[in-house]
Amino acid sequence: MKKTNIDEINRNIYDIKNKDSYDFKSQKGLNKEIIEDISKQKGDPDWMREFRLKALEIYNKLELPTWGPDISELNMDDISIYVKPKSKLNSSWEDVPEDIKKTFDNLGIPEAEKKSLAGVGAQYDSEVVYHSMKEDLIKQGVIYTDMETAVREYPEIVKKYFMKCVPVYDHKFVALHGAVWSGGSFVYVPKGVKVDIPLQSYFRLNSPESGQFEHTLIIVDEGASLHFIEGCSAPKYNKVNLHAGCVELYVKENAYLRYSTIENWSKNMLNLNTKKAIVEKGGQIDWVTGSFGSKISMLYPMSILNGEGAKTEFTGISFAGKGQNLDNGFKVIHNAPNTSSVVNAKSISKNGGKCTYRSLVRINEEAKNSKSSVSCESLMLDDISVSDTIPTNDIRNDDVEFSHEAKIGKISDKTIFYLMSRGMSEEDAKAMIVRGFAYPISKELPVEYAVEMNNLINLELEGAIG
Amino acid sequence: MEMLKLNETPVRTSRNFNINNIKLENVDLPNEVQEFSNLVIKNENKDIKIDFEKDEIFLKYGVGDILLENSKKLSNKNLKVTIDSKQKREVFLDFSLDEKNNNLIENIEIIANQNSKATIYLKYESKIKSFHNGILKILAKESSELNIVIVNLVSLDTNNFISIDSEVLDNAKLNFTIVDFGGKASITNLYSNITGKEAENNINTIYLGKENQLIDINYIGELRGEKSNINIEVQGALKDNAKKHFKGTIDFKKGCKKAKGNENEFCMLLSDTAKSLALPMLLCSEEDVDGNHSSAAGKIGQKELFYIMSRGFNHKEAMKLIVRANFNNIIETIENIEIKNRIAYEIDNRLD
Repeated sequence: MKKTNIDEINRNIYDIKNKDSYDFKSQKGLNKEIIEDISKQKGDPDWMREFRLKALEIYNKLELPTWGPDISELNMDDISIYVKPKSKLNSSWEDVPEDIKKTFDNLGIPEAEKKSLAGVGAQYDSEVVYHSMKEDLIKQGVIYTDMETAVREYPEIVKKYFMKCVPVYDHKFVALHGAVWSGGSFVYVPKGVKVDIPLQSYFRLNSPESGQFEHTLIIVDEGASLHFIEGCSAPKYNKVNLHAGCVELYVKENAYLRYSTIENWSKNMLNLNTKKAIVEKGGQIDWVTGSFGSKISMLYPMSILNGEGAKTEFTGISFAGKGQNLDNGFKVIHNAPNTSSVVNAKSISKNGGKCTYRSLVRINEEAKNSKSSVSCESLMLDDISVSDTIPTNDIRNDDVEFSHEAKIGKISDKTIFYLMSRGMSEEDAKAMIVRGFAYPISKELPVEYAVEMNNLINLELEGAIG
Repeated sequence: MEMLKLNETPVRTSRNFNINNIKLENVDLPNEVQEFSNLVIKNENKDIKIDFEKDEIFLKYGVGDILLENSKKLSNKNLKVTIDSKQKREVFLDFSLDEKNNNLIENIEIIANQNSKATIYLKYESKIKSFHNGILKILAKESSELNIVIVNLVSLDTNNFISIDSEVLDNAKLNFTIVDFGGKASITNLYSNITGKEAENNINTIYLGKENQLIDINYIGELRGEKSNINIEVQGALKDNAKKHFKGTIDFKKGCKKAKGNENEFCMLLSDTAKSLALPMLLCSEEDVDGNHSSAAGKIGQKELFYIMSRGFNHKEAMKLIVRANFNNIIETIENIEIKNRIAYEIDNRLD
């Protein structure tokens, strides 16, 4: 069968580069002096400065992972870890400098804010340049601000939760994050408050040979609920950029949090991100993830079900094209009775891309009467791509129901034939099948983001199958 | 005493998941051994030849280099089985470890020549503390059909290591049935290189762990031949403090167009201190393939248990019936009645 391959797809709006202008850019590399300099620039309190230095020590002691994609091309001496944009934090888009505002306009963020969001945070390089939330949520006591403001204004809450869910010694890139973090969002939803419309933070990395290390800390208090959306993109440069963010989510008793991500980093990005949630009694965390960008991604969101009856669902899709190695997955630890987890992961590989689903389900001794169901499906669109499934299932008590299933293969010839017999062209039939394959994930997203995801799938598919 | 790091997976995952390899302490590797004299061979077939010779050993994986070295230096039983029978024939190799023969380090090479058929039974048994390090090399040539049945009934204070390296050529069919019941630590590594067009490899395993047994299973099937096929079926039960690691890899290599691979692993947990760890991997570098795996763990269904008990069985008998029923499909692949009965007896005995 004839195949038409396009070397580089047109990533249009995502690839628009602004001039690399900044107020301050740290010298490349990573050492104590650079960390102290950043800390001074950011006006950190003493405890945070000391925290950063301690994290740097841990970073220097920890080894690179001995598994997963090869990340040896990452040289911290080539990366500027802090780029302060020429903008302060604004609460009106009108006050955001024109070139930065234009970037977010192109990405549709202010428009989405008007139509479908209760609050927006926008980070440009290392700092948040815009943050705003609807008045009624402020009145209900919801806090949605950038992390730096949270460190200044809510030090007790931040001290209590910051890097407690994701401890700084978890792995090397968490330690790096602890040392150099900048920007990100802080959300607190008080007891019983239901935030019906989503909040969104968008992270844009414009500066070449730099890193973005935003920290997201969300606390959804007892009986409260929230949908939080995270988007990320960057224009493509020739040398690697690094993203090592950290997301810490605390879901209190009977609270609910949905955390949705559309990740569309440029294909020179190493995305070494860490996300974890601690869920208390009766709480629920749902993850919805679409992973399209990055050269290399190592991302395994984790739910720790600490309270009786806590629940989690993970719905994710990865789409790897030429030159991409997306090693994604999910981890869940059941620590309490009657907990449950449901995982539905999908991946598509094409044009020599590699997708790996890597996971852990651990049901500990205490987690009696717990249930876990995992399903992963991989679709190969040509014979030069790679798709691996590497799930670890660790069951430590007998009173469980655990099942895992995985499938790997190509688009069924029978299905294509059926659709073609109904008058569709072969390309349209295949594209429809791929969209159908991704549908269980896109239907979990708000409609605007589902449209964006389908557009991304169309972009990625263009000319790639046949 | 040094810590042995054994049975590495072909692809590593996070170290925190504790499944990339197995670490064993307090393993006494013998420094010297005597010729093993307690092997009973039953072979009444002229066209199956058994020689007592040893060739250079090469293993792509194996349980671990240290055990390969141990075998190269000290092997005390070497066999080469060459099969030319065109009708299905049976060969029995019964290894009994006892006071005088408490170390068994054997090398067995089995070659099924073109169009040949045979079933080879390997039974390992001991009632005393002993040591077993076995290496099995298998070549199933074009259009041959070879069944290998391995029955491990060594004592619960014996360390049991088995490394199997096999190749399956065009249209050949290689079937393994493995009964893994014995051993303080029972560590098995099975590598299948399925190179032939329409070659088929079936691996059926039952394991039963009790007391503090540790069962570590590492199966690696690489599909290279067009329309080749692998099926891995593993059924197990764990009681007391027994622990099982199952690592199963189906690797679709480039060129294995229209290959199929299925892997199914189910572990019945019969106590709340038993532990099951599983890593069923699918690796795929070929588009036109069909790969599936499933893995499940849990306790015996309460409804089934209640139903059987309502028919007058006590709890233990009902549990035994359910375990045997789950194992039955695999036991039925064994044709020899004597071996089948022995396995049924061992299941009853070990679940008492």
